[in-house]
Amino acid sequence: MAPVANRYDAVIIGGGHNGLTAAAYLARAGRTVLVLERRHVLGGAAVTEEVFPGFRFSEFSYVVSLLRPEIIRELELPKHGLEILPLDGTITPLEDDSLWRVNDHGKTIRELRRWSKSDAEAYEEYGLLMADMARFIKPILSVVPPDPGAFNPFDWMPVVGLAKTFRDLPERLQSTFVQLMTMSATDFLRQWFETDPLIATMSASGIIGTFQGVRSPGTAYVLLHHYMGEIDGAFRAWGIPRGGTGGISEAIASAARAAGVEIRTETPVARIDVRNGRATGVVLESGEEVAAGAVLSSVDSHVTFLRLVEPSNLEPSFLEEVKRYKFRGSSGKVNLALDALPELACRPGKGEWLRGAISFSPGVDYMERAYDDAKYGRFSTRPYIDCIIPTLVDPSMAPPGKHVMSCFVQYAPYHLSDGRTWDDAERDAFGETVIATLEERFPSIRDLILHRQVLTPLDIERITGLTEGNIFQGELSLEQLFFNRPVPGWARYRTPIKDLWMCGSATHPGGGIMGAPGRIAALELLGARSGGSAGKVA
Amino acid sequence: MAGRYDAVVVGAGHNGLTTAAYLAKAGRSVLVVEQRDHVGGILDTVELAPGVKGPGIVHTVGRLRTSVIHDLGLVKQGLVTVEPEARVFAPQLAGPPLTLWADATRTASELGERSPADGEAYPAFDKKVRSLASFLSYLHAITPPDVKDPSLADALNGLKLGNAFRRLGKRAGREATRALPMAIADYVAEAFETDALRGAIASRAVQYTAMGPWSAGTTAVLLADSAGNEGGAPGQSTIARGGPGALAEALANAARGFGAEIRTGAEVVQVSVERHRATGVVLADGSEVSARAVVTAIDPKRTLTTLLDPVEIGPHLRWRATNIRTPGSVSKVDLALSGLPSFDGGEPERLAGRIVIAPSIDHLERAFDASKYGGVGDDPYLEATIPTLSDPTLAPEGTHVMSIVAQWTPFELRETDWAAERDRLGDIVVKALERYAPGLSNLVTARRVTTPVDLEREYGLSGGHVYHGEPGLDQFFVWRPLLGHARYRLGLPGLYLCGSGAHPGGGVTGAPGANAVREILGDLKRRS
Repeated sequence: MAPVANRYDAVIIGGGHNGLTAAAYLARAGRTVLVLERRHVLGGAAVTEEVFPGFRFSEFSYVVSLLRPEIIRELELPKHGLEILPLDGTITPLEDDSLWRVNDHGKTIRELRRWSKSDAEAYEEYGLLMADMARFIKPILSVVPPDPGAFNPFDWMPVVGLAKTFRDLPERLQSTFVQLMTMSATDFLRQWFETDPLIATMSASGIIGTFQGVRSPGTAYVLLHHYMGEIDGAFRAWGIPRGGTGGISEAIASAARAAGVEIRTETPVARIDVRNGRATGVVLESGEEVAAGAVLSSVDSHVTFLRLVEPSNLEPSFLEEVKRYKFRGSSGKVNLALDALPELACRPGKGEWLRGAISFSPGVDYMERAYDDAKYGRFSTRPYIDCIIPTLVDPSMAPPGKHVMSCFVQYAPYHLSDGRTWDDAERDAFGETVIATLEERFPSIRDLILHRQVLTPLDIERITGLTEGNIFQGELSLEQLFFNRPVPGWARYRTPIKDLWMCGSATHPGGGIMGAPGRIAALELLGARSGGSAGKVA
Repeated sequence: MAGRYDAVVVGAGHNGLTTAAYLAKAGRSVLVVEQRDHVGGILDTVELAPGVKGPGIVHTVGRLRTSVIHDLGLVKQGLVTVEPEARVFAPQLAGPPLTLWADATRTASELGERSPADGEAYPAFDKKVRSLASFLSYLHAITPPDVKDPSLADALNGLKLGNAFRRLGKRAGREATRALPMAIADYVAEAFETDALRGAIASRAVQYTAMGPWSAGTTAVLLADSAGNEGGAPGQSTIARGGPGALAEALANAARGFGAEIRTGAEVVQVSVERHRATGVVLADGSEVSARAVVTAIDPKRTLTTLLDPVEIGPHLRWRATNIRTPGSVSKVDLALSGLPSFDGGEPERLAGRIVIAPSIDHLERAFDASKYGGVGDDPYLEATIPTLSDPTLAPEGTHVMSIVAQWTPFELRETDWAAERDRLGDIVVKALERYAPGLSNLVTARRVTTPVDLEREYGLSGGHVYHGEPGLDQFFVWRPLLGHARYRLGLPGLYLCGSGAHPGGGVTGAPGANAVREILGDLKRRS
């Protein structure tokens, strides 16, 4: 092939946190890298935008606990401006009481004792058990999944290693691991706890971003993530980046640029150039061609294989598998600009309890009914809402004295029934339901709202490009994890097209502001280029 | 005190009897003790009215392992089975009913009239289910490996399993790992477009469970149901002539023929333990039976929490045992009928298998929803059989028996109890069926309603769970009933589990019993 002027070792489609992470790792290994982002801002679903004058929002994603510590370390993100502000505690407001848990264990246990002595006792034991579990499971997040259909012993080595570690675990941890992988969050927690608001609120983390209910098998696993949040090496800490979740993307972008990565925004890719079964670059919507030794796609598998690649380059059976991969957007987001801090009816005042998460999850039935609505194609009449007020820890997000409130809302199914669509009327009705739900606990909130931004799953799809507005680039159901993500047999970041790689949340270990798929994909590509698979990347 | 047996088996259900028969056949002295006044457990034939007999709980027996029938000579012991050509008849409120036949081609051609796409997809789906089920049948036949300390036998089993997996081929191998944890609603939606067919097939994946079609892991339930038998996509609908109790009788006769003793009306109140070893059982009358092996065919939760001294098994195992999930959610309604019910498009030939009321995935899911909040929906999922169509001996000529499994009816009701709700449930079920078979209620001459609470009280099933433990992914294979106790040895030396609470789980297969025997005989040999 004739040399082309603008030829890169790698071109990366999508400037979200995974695309940027992959870029940074490749550039640090001496490769020439170009990142192409469709929007004017970097970050994908991890962006901060000034939606209303003076009010800045983490528009889509809202908290961080999953960002891999090795990425923070290796890319020296703090040097590039990353600062995580701790977010302490979760309060579950009820009609005339509340359940408030904080990082201070003693305080939480005193609070739980008000509800149930045995729960307070079990909380301690449960915490220790989950910390032990998190330590075991962490390496899985860095493993390249093998192909169960093929028997390449080399690919299976890391899995065999994990199996050995598993075998050596005490039975108590082994059975807990099995339960975490298979049970519903509620069933799992009921083994220890009896307090309904506690079980509901803890279970809620198991359903975030999925089309499952708290009683659906397979939701227990996510409970572990709460014990894996490893900000600054401390277990169990959740936080928000200064300047919103866009702060993370900015820091990674800065690290990438420092390593020599070129980043172009407002540069949508029209298609991936495939010649003789090999990806040779991309063609931009402007018509410009960019040649590259490898193309890495950080966008989801639908967009990659059904929109950017000419179908004739792929086997029909592969396309079948791509099509049946489930997205199932299930959540919406409501961002509020507030004139002042709202107060809870059940716990008046402007105390510390507002500085953490405010979880609308009063009971398991409430959560399950919210899910039932979604199953039949309606947004929840009374949704689960996870609120945070970032201005309490980062006042720079709003004008002095004013506040922003971020409400993650579930369920809002992408596909509505009875011929309804996510039009303006439906969006308004959805926004109104959220405000009415908030109002039940924050009686004065309606009067405090200066502006509201209501994002339906369709809005999320339109703005970020995430298919069906699924924030994880695909449902995190058991059959779409590990070696089946995103296509059975193609979980090793490679694709049937040579030199085309996947590096986004659609690959193992999946979504969340984790960065792991981007990092593993980059290291796997570098390993393949230097001969052989990287296998386990430490 | 009676003499010492090689093994005492607690509970004369199909697994207890299977275990006893195999042990006796191997020359071991065996005593079976049964709490009720007759053998069979859930293989029960009951009298609905004078001269009218029907299935008490389960109504089909087609999952019974063929090797069990053969090894124990059940045909010689009087077992006669009837396999109707119609496997499933699924009436619909809107549109014609559909029939799934034993012959996939016949099914496909009928389905094709409704939807050409479904007609075309059906044979391939049936083949896929058979191929995945055949892989599962390997899994079902082995003792789950010892995770802590895999033995040579475990390695060989692993190799066999690996070979079976490889024989599936690369694509089907991937398909197996993908399909097992899936929700059946997704799995059928990938293959078929019509609600009627999706519902009819999906129903079998949620039967006897506390899961709806959108629950992860229900595809595994469907595949397990077809493993080791001729079920395929529609599942089996084989009945035993004389009622399910006839199978129990055949098993009991076989066991006795090999020299086993069976004592009914003998309730076990405790497992005797000496020096941390099970040494026998104590009966309700205070007598003791001593045995080298105590084999429990009753469910593991009940065994561990009521028959064993907590000091012997320790607080941790006891805590785990109380957390074995047994959310019973099935009830039974049995009807004596003065004539054959009339279903639109339901010629008698089509009604001879299972009549399934599950017209859509949403219908199933809504029926399940109600149970989550401790209630029973007005439109339950029903599976009915009319065994008199294949076995006229059950009732006087011209009259019929209808046996109906109804879901979901949770063990724990809110704001009421089953004593108060029993009749209402009978009404709901008859009314629901009547929508499809007009005039049904006028045919009913006798009715028997069995609630989950009855299942616990009368049949000794914890939580009224017919499968001795939910067949969820969390109680599967190496961790059924509990991780570390899946190798048919339960809790302490000398105690064995041979019932549905053990791998490969519930259903009239005899598989847990046959698998347990292998382990028990090995241990007895080693110790003698």
